[in-house]
Amino acid sequence: MMSATPSAATSDRTDAARMTASSPPLAAPLKTPRDLGWIGVPVVAVAGLAAFWLFPSDLGLLTRILAAALYVLSLDLVLGYCGIATLGQAAMFGTGAYVAGIAAVNWVADPLALLAIGGVAGGLIALATGALILHARGLTLLMLTVAVTQIVQEVANKARDWTGGSDGLSGIDPNPVFGAFRFDMVGRTSYLFALAVLVVALLVARRIVRSPFGLACRGVKEDPLRVSALGGSPKAYLVAMYAVAGVFAGVAGALTAVTSGIVGLDSASFSWSAEALVMLVLGGTGRLYGAVIGTVAFMAVHHILAATDPFHWMLFIGLFLMGVVLFLPGGILSGFERLAGLLRRKGDKA
Amino acid sequence: MSALLEVEGLSKNFGGLQVSSDITMSLHPGDRCALIGPNGAGKTTFVNLVTGVIPPTAGTIRLAGQDVTKLSSAERVRRGLIRSFQVARLFKSMTVREHLELAVLQRDAKTFRLFASVSGTPGLADEVAGLLDTMGLGAVAATPVGSLAYGQQRLLEIALALAMKPKVLILDEPAAGVPHSESQRILDAIDRLPKDLAVLMIEHDMDLVFRFARTIVVLAQGRLLCSGTAKEIVADPRVREVYLGSRAHAH
Repeated sequence: MMSATPSAATSDRTDAARMTASSPPLAAPLKTPRDLGWIGVPVVAVAGLAAFWLFPSDLGLLTRILAAALYVLSLDLVLGYCGIATLGQAAMFGTGAYVAGIAAVNWVADPLALLAIGGVAGGLIALATGALILHARGLTLLMLTVAVTQIVQEVANKARDWTGGSDGLSGIDPNPVFGAFRFDMVGRTSYLFALAVLVVALLVARRIVRSPFGLACRGVKEDPLRVSALGGSPKAYLVAMYAVAGVFAGVAGALTAVTSGIVGLDSASFSWSAEALVMLVLGGTGRLYGAVIGTVAFMAVHHILAATDPFHWMLFIGLFLMGVVLFLPGGILSGFERLAGLLRRKGDKA
Repeated sequence: MSALLEVEGLSKNFGGLQVSSDITMSLHPGDRCALIGPNGAGKTTFVNLVTGVIPPTAGTIRLAGQDVTKLSSAERVRRGLIRSFQVARLFKSMTVREHLELAVLQRDAKTFRLFASVSGTPGLADEVAGLLDTMGLGAVAATPVGSLAYGQQRLLEIALALAMKPKVLILDEPAAGVPHSESQRILDAIDRLPKDLAVLMIEHDMDLVFRFARTIVVLAQGRLLCSGTAKEIVADPRVREVYLGSRAHAH
């Protein structure tokens, strides 16, 4: 793997860009930072297990973080890989959470079946609304995604008989995972279940963004008109990726419902949509792992600050966000990438 | 031999302004035709009409015998009517290789495979390597296009068009913005295009036109002024009048 630092990459590119017949072959193995990804999944799994041993009394919070990471990952698929600006990802999360929750209360008790139900629900709502609104771009699209979230939340609020309205939906009591691992009071099963789901989701997402479909979506993100000049339909790609991300968000919602046992109206709120965007930008867009890092950083800092200084923690969260955005414009992950590049160059010199 | 592209009575009005009027021409397999004309002659409008970017007011366009006048531009692309752009329109952050992979996958309608891997697609790597080789882009295959020299971007434009296995290829000023000393590389690349392809080049640079074209079509004020071999066109007094006339105005 070649260097990932901006300076080294630039000098490689300038060499490659010289239009001589004997362009230096050194440009050939140049890789984009995107490609250092394969170590990410094992790192997430190991770090997740380490947290399980290190913080046995915080498993409830850690489980929420994992489900949220899956939700932010779904946003990265649409924003980072398709360039869809959206403030409506909570519509899919909330739909998945409510549909899985209602199914759990009334008919289904198997946790994996509930995740599947949530995923299908999130995917269908994304497919239906995406087909309606994705012809729009930019601010218009942003407004439409907000509107979809408001509608979903209002439907959940009005259908009290099913959703519990503003009291929330409770009484979700899933069976043991695979019939063997009971959801205990401390939350060990919940945590490990959520970690397994997140790891599998990362693997699937990685597969999708490296597929021919993922390549086409990146093309649409950069220049939709050029994609249609290649014979493709940009909107079809956008709607498809929006639906795929809807499945991820729906599974995240169902995972939250299954592990926490309750679903509230805030799961389909505007602020939950906006928080996803904040966490993703914090971690870094278009790289999958940025979603995980951003969620962990945001929710951990949130938790620690709120516990240590209950009066001013919002101020510190704001300063933290400004600091990251100003000094690491590509998110926390870009900071790691720069650091890795620096170390590697030092290693080369030595 | 039957025509690959037949344009008949093609006209376009913008309000009262007639920018293309009653253009009739055809391209056959193996044709190397240049479309020339002074500024404002309606060359770009003609390309946009043929490729389906704008709908014509009147006339028909047939591709390999089939009427495509009502089809969208993407649909025409899928049927083998491909254009390259006057200003290189590429995906800046994607590498040269990724561009060609996308073009080939799109052509083969494989872009809705969510769980396949690009690198594992049978035959793709070989075909892309062949295209890189044909256009002399092998050394920069892994370079993001945003950091390529402009001439190489133009070569990639042609490689992309070629990747789509065109029947008819329209090159819109393929050497625009490329230093004159390097335009030969572009022409060399064009020389290596498949022989049975019909190529229409829109070009200002007469030197390039004479090196490339076996036939020349002249547009002036939205009308087809004349067509013929390079020799006939040079000798045609009407062509001289149009060009000299427009130059006289320009100076």
